[in-house]
Amino acid sequence: MSQHSQPHEPPSDVLAAASKWSGPALMALGLLAAAAIALPPAAGRSTLVWWILSSALAPERILPLVGLGVALALVDRRYSLGALALFGGGLAVGFFRKDWLLSVLEAIPRATSHHFLTGPISTVIVGVALVLPAARLRSWFLLIAAAVAGSMLAAAIEVSDPSLHDIAIPLAGVVVAFWIVAAVSLTVRAFWRIWFPIPARILGSWLIAIGLLYGGASLIPKQKSAFPPPTEPTPDTFRFPEPDRLSPELEPQDRPGARIPPDGLQQP
Amino acid sequence: MFAVGLWGAQMGGRPVWTLPVTFPLIMVAGGAAGMFGLPLPGVEIGIALSILALGSAITFAWHPAEWTALCLIAAFAICHGYAHGAELPFAADPADYIIGFVLATGLIHVFGIGVGLALNKPLGGRLARGLGVLIGLGGVYFLVTALSAA
Repeated sequence: MSQHSQPHEPPSDVLAAASKWSGPALMALGLLAAAAIALPPAAGRSTLVWWILSSALAPERILPLVGLGVALALVDRRYSLGALALFGGGLAVGFFRKDWLLSVLEAIPRATSHHFLTGPISTVIVGVALVLPAARLRSWFLLIAAAVAGSMLAAAIEVSDPSLHDIAIPLAGVVVAFWIVAAVSLTVRAFWRIWFPIPARILGSWLIAIGLLYGGASLIPKQKSAFPPPTEPTPDTFRFPEPDRLSPELEPQDRPGARIPPDGLQQP
Repeated sequence: MFAVGLWGAQMGGRPVWTLPVTFPLIMVAGGAAGMFGLPLPGVEIGIALSILALGSAITFAWHPAEWTALCLIAAFAICHGYAHGAELPFAADPADYIIGFVLATGLIHVFGIGVGLALNKPLGGRLARGLGVLIGLGGVYFLVTALSAA
C-alpha cells in the first residue's frame, strides 16, 4: 500500500498545533475586532456598528451561542457537523419564512414586545441539550436544538434590524453567530478533558434558569417604579379651622362689627 | 451558594455536580413565585436557615443520601429564587438582571466546588469543616437578624 493511500496519516506537529490553537486564535481575533469597533466614540458609530454592539453582541444573544458551541464540542464530530448544518438551516428558515415563524411565536402572550421571546427559547433549548445525561440522547437532541437556535437567531436579527433593508445587518449577525459558535466549540474540543461534561451540565442548568426566568419576566407587565415607602403622618400641631369658623386662638379677636352681615351691606 | 459547592465537593461523587445543577433549576420555581407575587412567608428566615443548615452539614461532614441532599438544596433554592424573583419586576433591565444573578450564583457554586476539592485532602478535610463553622456562624447571625426584623 502506498503512503499516499493511508487513511489515517498522522498530521505533522505544525498542523496539530494549528488545529489546536485555531479556536483560541479565532476567539482572540473576534474579541480584538469587537474591541476595535467598541472603543471609538459612540457618536461616530454607523448603524451597523451600533447594531452589532447593542444586539448581535447582547448577552441574551451570546449565551445560547456559547452554549451551542460547548454542546457541539461534547458530541461526536459527525453530530457536531450535522448540528452546525442544521443551525445554518434554521437560520435560512428564519430569514426566508420569517412571517410564518413570527406568526407562530406571536401566540405566546406578550411575545411581540420582547423580540418574540427568541432569546429565552433558544437559551432554554440549548441548556436542555447540555444538561441531558445520556450522550446518545444529547447528540440527537442537539440536532433539534441547533435548528431551533438558528431559526430563533434569524428571527431576532430580523426584528431588531433598524435599517429594514440593509443586507449588511443580517450578514453581520450570521458572521458573529458562526464566529461565537466556532470559536467556543474549537477551543473546548482542543483542550478536551474527561470531566468537561460536568461543567457543561452546570452551564446548561444556568442557561435553562436564565431562559425560564427571562421568559417568565416577559409575561408579566413591566412595573415602572417600586411602590413608594409609606409617608409619615404630619404632626397635628395646628387644628385647621372649619369653614366659616376661626381657630380657637383667634376667637377672642373676632370682634362684632368687623364682619359683613350675611345679607350683604345695606345702602344708607 | 458557596456552601452548596463546598458541601457537594465534600460529599464527592455525583453530588459534586448534581447539587449545583439542581440549585438554579429549582431556583426558577421560587423566582417565578416571587415574580408573580405569590405569597411565601418567612423567606428571609428560610435563607438564614439554609446558611445555618449548610454550614452545619459541612462542619459535621454530613453525607446523606443524594436525594436527601437534593431535596434540602431544592428547599433552599426556592427561598433564594423567591427573593430574586420578587425584585425582578422592578429591574431596569430584567434580562441583564437575570443573567447577572444566575451567572453570579453559578460562579459562586463553582468557586465553592473548587475550594472544596482543594481543601478535602489537607489535614483530613478539617479546613473545609472549619469553613463550615464560619458559614454556620454567619447563618446564626442572619437568623437572629431575620427573626428580630420579623
